[in-house]
Amino acid sequence: MIYLDSAATSLIKPYSVSVAVTAALRTMASPGRGGHAAAMLAAQKAYETRELAAALFNMRDPGRIVYSMNATHALNTAFKSYDLYGKKVVISGWEHNSVVRPIYAAGAAITVARSPLFDKEAVVRAYRDSIDGAALAVVNHVSNVFGSILPVEEIALLCSKRGVPLVIDASQSAGILPIDSEALNADFIAMPGHKGLYGPQGIGLLLCTGNNERPHPLLYGGSGMASRSSDMPDYLPERLEAGTHNMPGICGLGAGIKYVLEKGTESLLEHERSLLRLTVEKLSSIKKIKLYCANNIDNQTGVLSFTVDGVQSEAVASALDEAGIAVRAGMHCAPLAHASAGTYESGTVRVSFCAFSTSDDVEALAYALTNICKRV
Amino acid sequence: MVHYMIICRSLTYAQRTARAMENAGITAIVMRSPTEISGSDCSYCVKISEKNLAPALMVMKRAGLDPGRIYLKRSDGSSDEVIT
Repeated sequence: MIYLDSAATSLIKPYSVSVAVTAALRTMASPGRGGHAAAMLAAQKAYETRELAAALFNMRDPGRIVYSMNATHALNTAFKSYDLYGKKVVISGWEHNSVVRPIYAAGAAITVARSPLFDKEAVVRAYRDSIDGAALAVVNHVSNVFGSILPVEEIALLCSKRGVPLVIDASQSAGILPIDSEALNADFIAMPGHKGLYGPQGIGLLLCTGNNERPHPLLYGGSGMASRSSDMPDYLPERLEAGTHNMPGICGLGAGIKYVLEKGTESLLEHERSLLRLTVEKLSSIKKIKLYCANNIDNQTGVLSFTVDGVQSEAVASALDEAGIAVRAGMHCAPLAHASAGTYESGTVRVSFCAFSTSDDVEALAYALTNICKRV
Repeated sequence: MVHYMIICRSLTYAQRTARAMENAGITAIVMRSPTEISGSDCSYCVKISEKNLAPALMVMKRAGLDPGRIYLKRSDGSSDEVIT
């Protein structure tokens, strides 16, 4: 199989990740649950992974890095810290349902800062015009549908100046774009472990980067600390980490982050962009294909959406699947992004790369799509 | 062997404390706090040798880490809280 769906999950991982997962399964118990060797080894590895994440995202205190199940869990935890009922919350037009649904469920009045695709300046303008009086702003660093990069640095600065707390969804950027949490000064940055960080599914991170000293837990339960208290501990990360940790996930994530640190986000991004350029070049010559790509490649990561004239996106993905190529089609859990781009009715077909994707993968994609388009 | 135990508010805090000490060349071990100190509640501490208390406290101060309670543990198993 040629796997071009890394924006969903980076299926191909560094070998060290599976070694770390297996080692955790065989040797580790639960961190903070006992003082025996297996529990203390787990504790050590859990801390080492926090330290690796702190190094990658420039966090001074690894203790403010909270483990979650995934980005959705991390985002829900972040939103739980605010009273959003009836309050104005500003989001971009490129948000995933992992942002839209919990904010909607919280009863917030959602304001969408709308902007055209791949237009960073318009994003900043839209936030500038919207955020006054907002209880919270949320921004997606990179659209999971189009790979468009949003100017989080400028939005963070704007929010900071206007006194609006900011949550950043780094689901598609963590491990791919540089993220300096100290410089961003957002309240929270949420991310999954199983995409650009090359960890296994079922693990994510919430960087508690801002001044919110006592974030509100989403889950309550055992933390291994202050057990006689009926409340969760009032310190991080234990306050937000109820229940047994996912040690195989944490160790796999640690190995994945180590891989990213060794390669460097700059080189990983350049690799993805070189494949993006090649894909755009190849697919541009197929008449029935409409590509959604940036004029300036600096505005896009290794994620590319397209449609095929006269063929449903899901049908294109099925045909590619039959040709042994895995892509994703449809809404990508981001109907708002499709509404913003004008692809709400059709959806799109999305290809997305990782460090292990090759130019041969792109050639095979182009060949398969040429044949599919000939059949239409 | 006489040693000191710095009681920490959490496991992660103990790990951060121990890492700061290790980075300064001080051997520090994170362990479960003994029952006579923790009172059977869940607690972790950082164990350091007798000679390292003063430099360890200096490292903690520099790193902005609160030492909390510190106990002296003697070779006969007895322990006393140390006022710093």
